[in-house]
Amino acid sequence: MKKKLISTLLILSMTAAMAAGCSGKESSGDSNTGGNGSASSDTTTSDDSTDGEGGSITFMAPDWAIPTDDQLKAFTDETGIEVTVNEVGWDDIRDKMVTAAAGGQAVADVVEVDWSWVGEFYAADWLEPLDVSDEVKADMPTLETFTKDGNVLAVPYANDYRLSYYNTKQYEDAEIKEEPQTWDEVYANCKTLKEKGVCEYPFALPLNAEEKTSTYLMWLAYTMNGIVFNDDGTLNKDSVLAALKYEEQLIKDELVDPADKTSSGMDAYKRILSGSANFLTGPTSFVSKSTNEEDCSVIGQITPILVPGKDAKATVTMALPEALGVTKFSENKDAAKKFIEWYTSAEMQEALNETNTAIPTLNSVLKKLIDDGKIQNAGAMMEQAELIASPFPGGVPAYYAEMSNTMYNAINKMALGEMTADEAYAEMEAKVAELAAE
Amino acid sequence: MKKKILPYLLLSPMILIMGVLVFYPIIATFSYSLKKWKLTAPNDIHMVGLRNYVSILNSDSFWYSFQNTLFILAVVVLLTTVLGFLTSIFLNIDVKWSGILLAVAMLPWALPPYVNGILWKFVFSSGYGFMNKTVIGLGLADKPIEWLSSRWSLLLIVSLVVTWRSIPFTALVCLAGRQSIPGGLYEAARIDGGNRRTIFRTITLPLMLPFLAIGITSTSVTAINVFDEIIALSGYSDLGKNILVESYMTTFSFLDFGKGSAVTYLVMLFAGILGIFYLRSLNKEVEY
Repeated sequence: MKKKLISTLLILSMTAAMAAGCSGKESSGDSNTGGNGSASSDTTTSDDSTDGEGGSITFMAPDWAIPTDDQLKAFTDETGIEVTVNEVGWDDIRDKMVTAAAGGQAVADVVEVDWSWVGEFYAADWLEPLDVSDEVKADMPTLETFTKDGNVLAVPYANDYRLSYYNTKQYEDAEIKEEPQTWDEVYANCKTLKEKGVCEYPFALPLNAEEKTSTYLMWLAYTMNGIVFNDDGTLNKDSVLAALKYEEQLIKDELVDPADKTSSGMDAYKRILSGSANFLTGPTSFVSKSTNEEDCSVIGQITPILVPGKDAKATVTMALPEALGVTKFSENKDAAKKFIEWYTSAEMQEALNETNTAIPTLNSVLKKLIDDGKIQNAGAMMEQAELIASPFPGGVPAYYAEMSNTMYNAINKMALGEMTADEAYAEMEAKVAELAAE
Repeated sequence: MKKKILPYLLLSPMILIMGVLVFYPIIATFSYSLKKWKLTAPNDIHMVGLRNYVSILNSDSFWYSFQNTLFILAVVVLLTTVLGFLTSIFLNIDVKWSGILLAVAMLPWALPPYVNGILWKFVFSSGYGFMNKTVIGLGLADKPIEWLSSRWSLLLIVSLVVTWRSIPFTALVCLAGRQSIPGGLYEAARIDGGNRRTIFRTITLPLMLPFLAIGITSTSVTAINVFDEIIALSGYSDLGKNILVESYMTTFSFLDFGKGSAVTYLVMLFAGILGIFYLRSLNKEVEY
């Protein structure tokens, strides 16, 4: 009797649990949120009570791209489009997109598109071309990265281009008078800083086997020699090998912290914020980080400067922006396009800088924020923004992930002493040539 | 007639679940592995026969990953079996706090693998890790050691981390096995003049072998399927990658579903063959 009672209770509780699992509000207007969207860390809706008159869309992005509830409500009030937000970790977005798209499904109507994904997404035909006015095109240099064969595939919302930073106080302590103009001067100054005991590991350089290590080599070669890839997609030997040898020399002279070989690239960058590194060429977000007490212990000592070049300051810099695109499998393409237009408008870029500390992609907005003093310690930020260019002659290639994987592993092996710069280059060159030929 | 249908009727939900969740994916993955199927070339999907397998078996990258897998497998199975067995012997001693000790011993098993990896990354971090602070504090080294920057030390650390997570399950299974041995057998052996060593060799060990087989099989599958700990400790670096990381990178990073499916199939075959081998060699009738 007792056993029967327990069995009955167990069956009832399991049935109740299953019923609870199957219940819940179904997201309207989108057939895909129940699948891949369900794995997101957070889901919010601009208006939970009613469906928007203009339809509804889903929006998948990392935490830093999520607008505030008030901003979303303003969009819904203006357009009648309801937005369901799926906040997902940046790393997971690509995997979710791949899994869903492989099955012919839209992971969301509007998705985050990183600059490094655009080549493969275009080749796989997962993104819907967008209409962008000539005025916006002229004011948004990073749009070039997301344009393939004349089609704009995504519109950048967060500007991240390479800018250099150095610790001015350490320069004073080491009696170095001028900011570095060339990469050779950076190297010489780092040696002086080390020899005088001002900074043990002055150069912040990501060397771990990860994406940041590949991109560092790319912009080092780009700013040093103005070229990374040949027109046929292969590596430019003179430029890339010179950059690799530069890195190798920094490692040999112990100007780079050995921990940078295995710690994350962001940890390597952050050494400048604690004063354990003197020089960094890194993300624009370090402009605000260097003035934030929570992030930086050497506030007032870090100055953003133009990236050094070979004989003088570099005439180009590389951008690594993030954008929003509309998935090809979306059933709400028009509403999704309206959302992107609103999200990347000048007004919203200004608002998102205030709420999400996003660096505007429209140069006019960036200039306004700097002039108004809303972006502090900007240094050469505006000047550098005007030098943004893409190192990829035919756009970001479809095989970027595989190419980058080979590059960062070869650099990491060089850093660990398993390879010389020449051997690391040979490994990269062979793989990139094979991929480009395919 | 009713009696003939009823067993099949009762089995049908499980057959359906197994069919949809196990057999269908196995067949589908095999069919994908015979195709050239790269997501970045959606208009160029076609059958290539065994060409994906030939390409993988000729690639240095696969064999490097396979060597790493074998290393992790050997170390994890050896350490987990020995330490898990010993832990079960200790847990079988009846003391006041047995229940609490058992709960504490199970903790590593309850940890998600990625969290486990992150935890140990802090321990072995080259800059500020606990291990470096300890060895420097004890005067055993004068500057931080880069624990995760050479292939074999990285693989050894990965193996230790996986072992730490796997011991509780093996210990629990062995404990169940140990407690299922009738006390009368030990009593009879003692009356017959058997000493501790003889009793362990002739009664405890043979009767626990089937349970050890379960522990070893489970540990082997865990050791082959290590993923989270490797990613947490060394990212997607070539240095410590095993065949599962190779499979993930091929499929989801390089978007090559054809080759990725072939690697996955090889992993499955390897795990399957190993499982059958263990069960056949260890799950034998015991005479005592």
